[in-house]
Amino acid sequence: MRRVTKIAAAGIASAALACSLTACGESSTEAAGKDKGVGLAFDVGGRDDHSFNEAAARGTDKAVKELGVKSKLMTAKNGETEADREQRLTSLAEAGFNPVIGVGFNYGNSVNKVAKKFPKTTFAVVDSASTAKNVYGINFSENEGSYLAGVAAALKTKTKKVGFIGGVNNALIQKFQAGFEQGVKDTDPKVKVTSQYLYANDDKGFNDPAAAKGKAKGMLDDGKDVIYTAAGQSGAGSIEMVAAKKGAWAIGVDSDQYAQPGLAKYKDHILTSVVKNVDVAVYDVIKSVEDGKPLHGTVHLTLKQDGVSLATSGGYIDDLKGELDAAKKRIVDGKVKVAENPAK
Amino acid sequence: MSEGGALHRPALAPSLRGECAITASSSPPAERAPAAAPAVELRGITKRFPGVVANHDIGITVRRGTVHALVGENGAGKSTLMKILYGMQKPDEGTIAIDGEQVSFASPADAIARGIGMVHQHFMLADNLTVLENIVLGAEKLHGIGAAARKAVLEVSDRYGLNVRPDVLVEDLGVADRQRVEILKVLYRGARTLILDEPTAVLVPQEVDALFDNLRELKAEGLTVLFISHKLGEVLSVADDITVIRRGTTVASVVPGETTPKQLAELMVGSELPSPETRESTVTDTPMLTVDGLHLSATDPDGVARAVLDGIGFTIHKGEVLGIAGVEGNGQAELVEAIMGMRDPDGGTITLDGADISHAPTRKRREDGIGYVPEDRHRHGLLLEAPLWENRILGHVTEKPNSRGRLLDLKAARADTERIVTEYDVRTPGIEVTAASLSGGNQQKLIVGREMSHHPKLLIAAHPTRGVDVGAQAQIWDQIREARREGLAVLLISADLDELIGLSDTLRVMFRGRLVADADPATITPEELGSAMTGAASGHLEHAEDGAETGGGAAE
Amino acid sequence: MKKIDRTKLTLGIAAPVLAIVAALLITSVIILATGKDPLHAYAVMVDFGSKSDSQVWIINKAVPYYLSALAVAIGFRMNLFNIGVDGQYRIAAFFAAVVGGALTLPGFLQIPLIIIVAMLVGSVWAGIAGVLKTTRGVSEVITTIMLNSIAAAVIGYFLQEGRLAVKDGNLFHTPDLPASSHFFTIPTQPDPLDGFLVVAAVVGVAYWFVLGRTRFGFDLRTVGRSESAAQAGGVSVKRMVITSMLLSGAAAGLIGMPTLLGVSYNYGTDFPVGIGFTGIAIALLGRNHPLGMAAGALLWGFLERTGTQLEFEDYEQEIVGVMQGVIVLCVVIAYEVVRRYGLRIQQRKVGEELAAQARKTDKAEVSA
Repeated sequence: MRRVTKIAAAGIASAALACSLTACGESSTEAAGKDKGVGLAFDVGGRDDHSFNEAAARGTDKAVKELGVKSKLMTAKNGETEADREQRLTSLAEAGFNPVIGVGFNYGNSVNKVAKKFPKTTFAVVDSASTAKNVYGINFSENEGSYLAGVAAALKTKTKKVGFIGGVNNALIQKFQAGFEQGVKDTDPKVKVTSQYLYANDDKGFNDPAAAKGKAKGMLDDGKDVIYTAAGQSGAGSIEMVAAKKGAWAIGVDSDQYAQPGLAKYKDHILTSVVKNVDVAVYDVIKSVEDGKPLHGTVHLTLKQDGVSLATSGGYIDDLKGELDAAKKRIVDGKVKVAENPAK
Repeated sequence: MSEGGALHRPALAPSLRGECAITASSSPPAERAPAAAPAVELRGITKRFPGVVANHDIGITVRRGTVHALVGENGAGKSTLMKILYGMQKPDEGTIAIDGEQVSFASPADAIARGIGMVHQHFMLADNLTVLENIVLGAEKLHGIGAAARKAVLEVSDRYGLNVRPDVLVEDLGVADRQRVEILKVLYRGARTLILDEPTAVLVPQEVDALFDNLRELKAEGLTVLFISHKLGEVLSVADDITVIRRGTTVASVVPGETTPKQLAELMVGSELPSPETRESTVTDTPMLTVDGLHLSATDPDGVARAVLDGIGFTIHKGEVLGIAGVEGNGQAELVEAIMGMRDPDGGTITLDGADISHAPTRKRREDGIGYVPEDRHRHGLLLEAPLWENRILGHVTEKPNSRGRLLDLKAARADTERIVTEYDVRTPGIEVTAASLSGGNQQKLIVGREMSHHPKLLIAAHPTRGVDVGAQAQIWDQIREARREGLAVLLISADLDELIGLSDTLRVMFRGRLVADADPATITPEELGSAMTGAASGHLEHAEDGAETGGGAAE
Repeated sequence: MKKIDRTKLTLGIAAPVLAIVAALLITSVIILATGKDPLHAYAVMVDFGSKSDSQVWIINKAVPYYLSALAVAIGFRMNLFNIGVDGQYRIAAFFAAVVGGALTLPGFLQIPLIIIVAMLVGSVWAGIAGVLKTTRGVSEVITTIMLNSIAAAVIGYFLQEGRLAVKDGNLFHTPDLPASSHFFTIPTQPDPLDGFLVVAAVVGVAYWFVLGRTRFGFDLRTVGRSESAAQAGGVSVKRMVITSMLLSGAAAGLIGMPTLLGVSYNYGTDFPVGIGFTGIAIALLGRNHPLGMAAGALLWGFLERTGTQLEFEDYEQEIVGVMQGVIVLCVVIAYEVVRRYGLRIQQRKVGEELAAQARKTDKAEVSA
């Protein structure tokens, strides 16, 4: 009797397999629609991460408002694989969205791969390079913006100890770390920078505010009074923790976090934010498609091009304007070269 | 049958709900009851479990102020009946009358309120509390937990001569003392009728006598005792009335004076009672198992290492049954585990058929011909959730017919399981059912069949007939006797002294990890053995002779 | 006997059916609570999931899930809770990628070499927990969780430029495997099936055979059912603990291989994580049965495939996660309910037959 079940199950399994081997049934890619507007695929955290994804969403919102396009926003889950990302992008492209934008370096490979299957669609990817004709790769000089944050931190700290919290220890976040450390060191060599990461190699680091909170608490207890967090949505946890301590400053990332309604409670402690103008870049891509002259290739948006900048909302760094402008000038003029990798 | 139900029996202690009712109604009805009304009267009780009738048209009348014994084989339906009387189960048909008044119990609390108390076979006491605390626990509403409660406990204890010491921790008490605490617990809650479920199963003969004295005391005070047992000698010595249950129904009510154990047994099983007697000797002088200077230490929960086996030495020859008597917990289990290789001794040697196996792995010992009928068959002898044929493989996976090389031979194993089921009369609808669904006796027959199928040189049988009905018991005894005739050496450990004396060629008594006495089963009496077991008779060799000299025809 | 077997079959089918019906009901209620139409959601899922490219996607996705479930199930079968499959496959894939990236051998040598390295590393990592359990009595639950973190830290340390990784844009990854080490694919339309499907099937059959047909497997299951009975039966429980942890770890080592040899060709910061935990859910779902787990892995793939489509249809993204959780919960409960019911039926049957036998002998006695 048990054998019968086994045989039956094996039969069903092999029938199913045979079915897909011979590709019976329609392929989902055959059913493509017409232009539906912008398809935006977020990294983990989603549009309301008060940070990186939200910056991209802002650019899209602007396009929706000014150019009258429609949009579709989708979000990655923790622990995704390449196949999940490819599917998300494919779904957007075949549904007729144009451009399709992957937000975050995780989409680097999948955007370039999927783009080859949809040559008529424009793709864009933030924080990664383009290797396909119809892909626009948008990169930022996070290290340069972070350098300025380092300058501000070195000038503001009273304890002469500052901290950096990265979400995930990967090449991208290391750029933030490298710039920040260099900025602090160039400004005041006596200030000690401690850099720590939430996760060694798990993207959950961008989606785990509790972990950032714990990390920030450790740093605060150790007397660090300026903490720069580059960890997407996790950053909110760190900011919340810093705000609970008098005299401590948080430095935000990607968006102007002082101006984020979700973080309004803590804004008195947000010294500044290293803004990546993702919104501008995303808007530009959408506009280029609407104008019929889609952008492609890889672009590096540096401090010089205002691709990155230091937010001044709140006015807490107004007193440092002189030093910051001077530092910016040195970088723009090429007198200071900001490293991409942290000093070992 | 009812055994299936027993597996799932919830450990019901008298619940709080019941206690409040007791104060109101426990004692008075007894006093007010008309003298003629029986304490308990069951009429036409029938209880069906899905597909099985556990009790059928049972009628029992228990006179007030008597000890009434309920005898029957395991699975005859005694437990179900007592559960009905104690409110744990509702009968499908029939009536219960207490002191002439018809009642219906929805829960044990109702039964307690009516003055019925139950002492379970497995005690329900908290080890880390004192006797007083255990008695009061759950009955705080009666007399509180302070001086009043203490006074009440001592009063009850004195009245029935229970000699309970209220401030001793239960963990420091022996089995007999714990039983008295259980009885006192029930009396404290106002019970006028006590149900004792197999109370003598855990006691040595001297303790049994003490218990019976207590029961007589209770009887003298006007209380009623319902006494469940299958030990006929005991029943005859203490009971005023005896009701016999067979296959779920009452087959006879007898008076001890008018019956013999043999007649009772025949009523119980419906045929003649088997006897464990083996008199013709098959002992050879070829040693099969030699244990010499065996020593084993164990660390108890407090971290203190102590010797659980010390200086153990004996030899079992081919065709010999060596019986070890002793109160449980004196090292018998450890001795068996050391011989089986489940514990590594830290001194001494074990030699099987000339080969030193002191530190050999268990599997090697089994392959070399040790058969094992474990004391706790659920823990050590069976895979309860596995089908019978997998249980047939258990312990012998490396041997034929279960495997060929490194692969299992499922076909042969299944076929051989069928053979065991037939030859050893395992009552089962098939070999695909789980071991858990068999009754205890049939589980044991399967184990014995399995072990005997590999023609062991040495059989370790620990309590081989515990919890086994009379029919299965006789079969198991027959198996052991037959194998012994064929040259098997048997190490028999049992709490049933009749079984030990009846089956063994040589007897040893184990006390606190040492073999303290030996005896000749042909002359020794259970009473003599019992005193050696408690350490009272620090007997040396031939203690039996003393008995023979002083007691004369004790062994006759 | 036939009768009992029929009951067994009915019960065997009843459990999953019960679970799926319950899961559908609960999920429907949840979808309704979000103000959406559950029936439309199921229609979308069935429709999208049955597309040919979806089938390929689902099967490819299910392969590592299945391997992961097998690795977990080896432990489960002997009552070991190997939570560390996640760390085991990641560290195994990492070092396999390092070895593979450093060598350029012909494929028939290099692919087996990479797989063996992965299995060895996985074994060692799991074996640590086994050794700690047998020598120190530390629960494998604790050690394997810790080892997950340690694995992540070890990988994090080595996965840096100048250590064992190269930098590629914003990613670090181990050097790419040579083209000779790319695993074969089974050509189907529109996308190819991952050749590792064959390996997964072979491992599944091996799992079934070793556990069900060998002495070793019997010993392992015995320990799982009753440690005390196994010990009394001559099984060395300690050795079985270590052996099964090693086997579980070796199976875990395979989990990363479809990705490494068929998709990414390197171990980078974007290497998938969490498959080891998914494996626990699938092993529960499939009741440790090789075919059950295959069905579970495919179901998981189906849910993930169609979940994205649901998001497209304006359902909440989390619906699929809720469904997965509800299904596992329902399955576990349903199997327990059915198991108890089955046991009761069986005991009743045994009781009935014995009663019948007894009646027969009674009659015989009467007539005699």
